[in-house]
Amino acid sequence: MLQLWQQYLPDFFAGVVVSLEVTGAALVLALALGALLVTARTGRVRVLRSLAVGYIEIFRAIPVLVLVFMAYYSLGQVGIRLPGFWAGVVALGAFYAALYSEDMRSGLQSVDRGQREAAQALGMTNGAMMRRVILPQALLAFLPPGTNELSNLIKDTSLVFTIGVADLMFQANQASAATFQPMDMFVLAGLFYFAFYILISRILARWELNVQRRRS
Amino acid sequence: MSSDVAVDIQHLTKRFGPRTVFEDISLQVKRSEVVAIIGPSGAGKSTFIRCINYLHPFDEGRIRVLGRELVGGAAPPSKAVLREIRTHVGMAFQTFNLFPHLTALGNVMLGPMEAKRMPRAEAQDKAMALLTAVGLAERANAYPRRLSGGEQQRVAICRALAMDPEVMLFDEPTSMLDPEMVGEVLEAIRRLAGQGMTLILVTHEMMFAKEVANTVVVMADGRLVEQGPAREVLEHPQTDRARTFLNRVLKPLAAEGSPLAPVSLGGDHP
Repeated sequence: MLQLWQQYLPDFFAGVVVSLEVTGAALVLALALGALLVTARTGRVRVLRSLAVGYIEIFRAIPVLVLVFMAYYSLGQVGIRLPGFWAGVVALGAFYAALYSEDMRSGLQSVDRGQREAAQALGMTNGAMMRRVILPQALLAFLPPGTNELSNLIKDTSLVFTIGVADLMFQANQASAATFQPMDMFVLAGLFYFAFYILISRILARWELNVQRRRS
Repeated sequence: MSSDVAVDIQHLTKRFGPRTVFEDISLQVKRSEVVAIIGPSGAGKSTFIRCINYLHPFDEGRIRVLGRELVGGAAPPSKAVLREIRTHVGMAFQTFNLFPHLTALGNVMLGPMEAKRMPRAEAQDKAMALLTAVGLAERANAYPRRLSGGEQQRVAICRALAMDPEVMLFDEPTSMLDPEMVGEVLEAIRRLAGQGMTLILVTHEMMFAKEVANTVVVMADGRLVEQGPAREVLEHPQTDRARTFLNRVLKPLAAEGSPLAPVSLGGDHP
């Protein structure tokens, strides 16, 4: 088993890099789009509010795999041909944007009303109030659910193998087919995902703790 | 209107939906005057004082603050006017509302740096001087969570003073404090009054109002029921409503209908 692992390790590492790239790109897209959604959702324009609510409801309800196929095949059918990598990023980003926007909203809502009043009473502009008073506090409430969402995102990147992106799951599948050792290969893939998860959740948990500690 | 009037409030009315919070309140506050607003809970005192720096919009009437005008019911004032007013009118809240992610010093520095573009070093010196004046120099680097209620409120007062306000609003500044911490906060407010700051405060501290305020305003049931020189209103209220209120507050044990008033037990009847 160890020998087989050794043999396929370079392929797996190549897959890890792709999985990380998908995760990173999807995360950036999800956070940016999520921020836009929460701005629209909590803003004054009714049409934008309804649009944001509609988006969140719809995208939360559709399985990620269906979104991945839609981004790759359905968009392709209407002439928007995305490479597999970007189709995966778009699908994951669009889905996680809906989740992140809800986490961001509850983070913002967790900030006491009095904070806003205190900032206003000082004559701060809305921008300064958000930047210096509201967001630093909302971040703390956003981190735990945000971390949770990120570990789900990492796992869900494995779905992009279905549209031929050479990620970790794809490499494990290839190796399994070539060696007839699905047990070894998928266990190795599982170990990699587990390592990811541990790494990222520990880093974020530590960050959270640091932020908290700095404020007491 | 003569220019020695700092705040001129005319016929102010505020509603929340169908409910009237207060109605037709007029009040003039001269420069360096100390006005205490007293009255039962739910009389609209806090909402009223928050209208002065437009934390709450109002439905009718108008307020002239330091020469800038707020008009009820109309479109909200321009951001420029609001900021003008708010940078010249400081406020301390019942719940302190310190920024929990900043130290005491950071709290006091933020206003001048963000709303007045004051350089950091200058803001820091100013903040340190203010904290020192209220005996908190050693607590400058502590976060609000580590401060007692009295310390938090003193920091909050410094935070407002860092903007060099011409008028200070206090919304029940001591009612969330443990009794032994009330004194230190009142002392800070008394000092401000002594320096000639224009003060409007909502308070339940009658003795303090009598000692420090020039004018006392009694609000009850959404109306201004009595207004006059502090000692006169507190010692010889002219209206029934003010008298009832003051009786209950000043002699809680003796007041009619108080649960602590002496009662005769059924078994003692002859």
